[in-house]
Amino acid sequence: MPVVEVDPDELRRLTGHTDKTDDDLREDLFALGLEYEGETADGAFELELESDRLDRLSPTGVARSLRYQYGDDRGVYRPSTTAGDWTIEVEDSVPDQRPYVTGAIVRGLDLDQAALDAILQLQEKLHATMGRDRAKGAIGIHDLTMLKGTPLQGQDPEDTVADGPSITYRGIAPDGDRFVPLDSDAELTPEAVLTDHHIGSEYADLVADYDRYPAIYDDVGLFSFPPVVNGRRTEVSTDSRDLFVELTGTDQWTIDRMATILCYALDARGGQIETVAVEYPDRTLDRPDLETRVKHVAHDRIEATLGTTLDTETVIDLLERSGHDAEAIDPDTYAVTVPPYRVDVLHPVDLVDDLGRAYGFNNLVPRYPDIGTVGGRHEPSRHERAVRDRLTGLGFEDLLNFVLTGRNTNFAAMNLDPTDDAYGAHDPATITEPYSQAYELVRTWVLPSVLSVLGNNTHRAYPQDLAEIGVAAHVDTDEPTNVAEHRAVAAVLARHDASYEDARSRLQALARSFDVGLATPATTHPSFIDGRVAAVELEGARVGVIGELHPSVLVGFDLELPVAAFEFDVAALR
Amino acid sequence: MPTRLPEAQAAVLEAASTDEQTIDDLADATDLPPETVTGAVYDLAERGFLAIEETTTTDVALTEEGDRYRTEGLPELRLYRAAVAAGADRTPQPLGDVLEAADLEGATVDIALSNYARKDYGSIEAGEISADPDRDPSTDAEAAALEAATEGGIDDDTREALVRRDLLTVEEHTTRSVTLTDAGIDALMEGIDRRDGVGQLTPALLTAGDWRDVDFAEYNVEADAETVYGGTIHPLRQTAERVKDVLTGMGFQEMAGPHADSEFWINDCLFMPQDHPARTHWDQFALDVPPATDLPEDLLDRVREAHRNGVGEDGEGYHSPWSEAVARQVDLRGHTTSLSMRYLSGAATDDIDPPARFFSVEKAYRNDTIDATHLLEFFQIEGWVMAEDLSVRDLMGTFTEFYEHFGITDLRFKPTYNPYTEPSFELFGHHPTTGDLIEVGNSGLFRPEVLDPLEVDCDVMAWGLALERLMMLMTGAEDIRDVHGTLVDLAFLRSEEVVY
Repeated sequence: MPVVEVDPDELRRLTGHTDKTDDDLREDLFALGLEYEGETADGAFELELESDRLDRLSPTGVARSLRYQYGDDRGVYRPSTTAGDWTIEVEDSVPDQRPYVTGAIVRGLDLDQAALDAILQLQEKLHATMGRDRAKGAIGIHDLTMLKGTPLQGQDPEDTVADGPSITYRGIAPDGDRFVPLDSDAELTPEAVLTDHHIGSEYADLVADYDRYPAIYDDVGLFSFPPVVNGRRTEVSTDSRDLFVELTGTDQWTIDRMATILCYALDARGGQIETVAVEYPDRTLDRPDLETRVKHVAHDRIEATLGTTLDTETVIDLLERSGHDAEAIDPDTYAVTVPPYRVDVLHPVDLVDDLGRAYGFNNLVPRYPDIGTVGGRHEPSRHERAVRDRLTGLGFEDLLNFVLTGRNTNFAAMNLDPTDDAYGAHDPATITEPYSQAYELVRTWVLPSVLSVLGNNTHRAYPQDLAEIGVAAHVDTDEPTNVAEHRAVAAVLARHDASYEDARSRLQALARSFDVGLATPATTHPSFIDGRVAAVELEGARVGVIGELHPSVLVGFDLELPVAAFEFDVAALR
Repeated sequence: MPTRLPEAQAAVLEAASTDEQTIDDLADATDLPPETVTGAVYDLAERGFLAIEETTTTDVALTEEGDRYRTEGLPELRLYRAAVAAGADRTPQPLGDVLEAADLEGATVDIALSNYARKDYGSIEAGEISADPDRDPSTDAEAAALEAATEGGIDDDTREALVRRDLLTVEEHTTRSVTLTDAGIDALMEGIDRRDGVGQLTPALLTAGDWRDVDFAEYNVEADAETVYGGTIHPLRQTAERVKDVLTGMGFQEMAGPHADSEFWINDCLFMPQDHPARTHWDQFALDVPPATDLPEDLLDRVREAHRNGVGEDGEGYHSPWSEAVARQVDLRGHTTSLSMRYLSGAATDDIDPPARFFSVEKAYRNDTIDATHLLEFFQIEGWVMAEDLSVRDLMGTFTEFYEHFGITDLRFKPTYNPYTEPSFELFGHHPTTGDLIEVGNSGLFRPEVLDPLEVDCDVMAWGLALERLMMLMTGAEDIRDVHGTLVDLAFLRSEEVVY
């Protein structure tokens, strides 16, 4: 979950509650769902927040939520906007992989270092969350006074949309131009930025399959290379008063909402939002989009979810305390106006949740649901328990091992090859990007896991009789998932005089207990000693193997005494 | 009152005296085998009648080779003397000549050369030997030790060196001397009742009726017996059984289903956007197998529609890409909620009508960083309740009942966010022993975007928690790596307290 750093002094100032102690704040924040995780060296709170409330990724966003909680604010707040004359012109050349752009202008800011840091933190947190590490959406913030826009009509007599300055979003060849990126003194091509610049190399993967690179131009030239790095010319500092915010991405809605959250934060810092026109070849958008949405919530749905009765006034009051506007349009329905920063509200049920939080879910009294149902376990579950009980009755210690294992343990250590015609030899289901060689495939049989436990316990008293009933699987294209899964029982008897007969006698006992016919016709298996290995046949079906393990297998598991073993598909005992 | 003792012990006690005697002395005196005497002595010592003092002596002896060198001289010293005689203390001399002069041949040559070098008597290079003129072979510690070996009094390092060279053997002997204690004297004074009694009740004694006339030898009934282990159910399995007992008692039916499943059942049905961070390979295990077949086409369409456009008049979808190829990718399930989806959809069983309760306690797989509380595999307790109308209060009541069975009381419900439930709650409870407030699960009411595509038109509440977490709370286990997996210590499995 995302973590945001918030200075408690700033929270006191932003909320106007200067009398709140740090402890008070921590408690109020917890009630909002913001968990205090610790403090930075500067004394800022590190707050973990729920991943849906991205509007709280800044101190101003957190302060806004607190003010609603304190009852200082009610209902929807929308920043005022003024109509601006800047245009973002989108050329046909923009890369297909990143066709969307949006933007906003914010004027009249007076940011100190802390406020600027908070804005940059919000930018990075939005990148990490909604922006999917800049792949889906990336934000560039620029000092507006450093941008020089050419009036569009001067360039194109056909264009009648705007008479103001503009910037242009276009696609260029990887070495098509040069600019000085942030934290650099050299003019570099976009291609060179990806290899020679520390930010460029970090985000190079994002444009790896682009044939044209995204680039934003003003009249002076290239000033932003989204989603990788901005130019140094337009870098924002505490001296910046007017900002130009641009966002590019793979989805218009996503970058518009990221812009919305950023605009709310800049508005709370005293900025005046000014619109820009985003001019695509086939349409023009007026941005930022700060429109509210209306959703309808049924009264009986609210009461059913909370399990309690509420009157209309209370419902409206709770919704307003959550930052929404609400109106009863008929006795059973509320029209709820949702502010644009609430990117998480998808369905009326989300508003019921807001209402429940404002009411205080922990004020509800638990009750056991008055419904009658019959409980029970499924047959394979009861069967497995019965087999496990029988195994422990025969003296086996029940084991619980990982289903994931390594190719070496599953095959090589057992002298087994996936292509052998032998029990356990199968095409394994392998993990596409394994964590380590110890966990790279789903085990095709269980015996190697049990032998690993023996190998790890050679310092413990013998005899060691161990058994496991567990899942094993292999690739099988006849299955809907292309993976055939089964549960196998594997058992070992490790002792100085362990013999085939010891294993056979336990296997007989199991077969007898479950009333299935057992035969053990001689076979060969690379994990076992020739002449001391047999197939396990239950009711005439070959379902496993039994024998004395081959010395080369034992030595491989660091074992210094004989081991007799069997394994078979536990379903054959049903 | 006379002390009742078996014959052998009585004989040994009577033969013992306040003067020290060895086991052999007592064996001679009693005419009993030494092992019988040893057993009797320890039994009597246990009762305080005898005192045993153990003394360890060390016998040092020359091996055959050692004895030969004692008379002939150590080979390296013979080499040194011959080398000096040949003038190697001034200029290097041909090694062959010196060896011949020293009368060294065969295996002894190697022994001479390696020890010559080891003890720095000189060096051998390019077939020539040189000797350190400042060495005095008559002060060689090992040679002196060989002379003195059998009389003892040589330092440990030299002795070690000679043992390593196989010139000496060292054997330790323990002798036990036995004396009569005051309690033993008292017992003798009060008299001994010599009775062996019958050690073992036999079938013969029973059938012949002789059991009526015999005494049974007394056992030391307080002593520990041999350790036996038997077989036990794995502690985590025992905990799972306990959970299953509780849930079936609360009216829950058990679910089953595949570990390797399509992302459709694992994530898409749960309204997890396809670009959700938890759907990358950093969090889940994708399998290198062909795409899943036989997904229900109409359900697939409805789920796609929910992701793109939401459900209901005021519903909105995600602004994320959605592709069928991703839905058909086969993964190891990251949670067992995939089973709930299969059951709620009617794909796993017949359509389920409310009211219903279902559960599973099964494995899930996550690409976590392994530590004391995280492995790549864990057991998830998954449960859901379906009814016409369910409220947050019903959810609270159900979980309060469940957790109280495990001693976790005073449950708290912290509102949280899950993509598939709304409202959602993290469950906190008080630790049964420490009393700390700890997270014990995650829960909520399934969203319409989950239920509508499944064509479930009533309410469903669900919750999940890790069985491992519950087990650690119940048993005090601190590191899950010691419990689950091949690193488990058999001593732990054999001694862990049972769960019931």
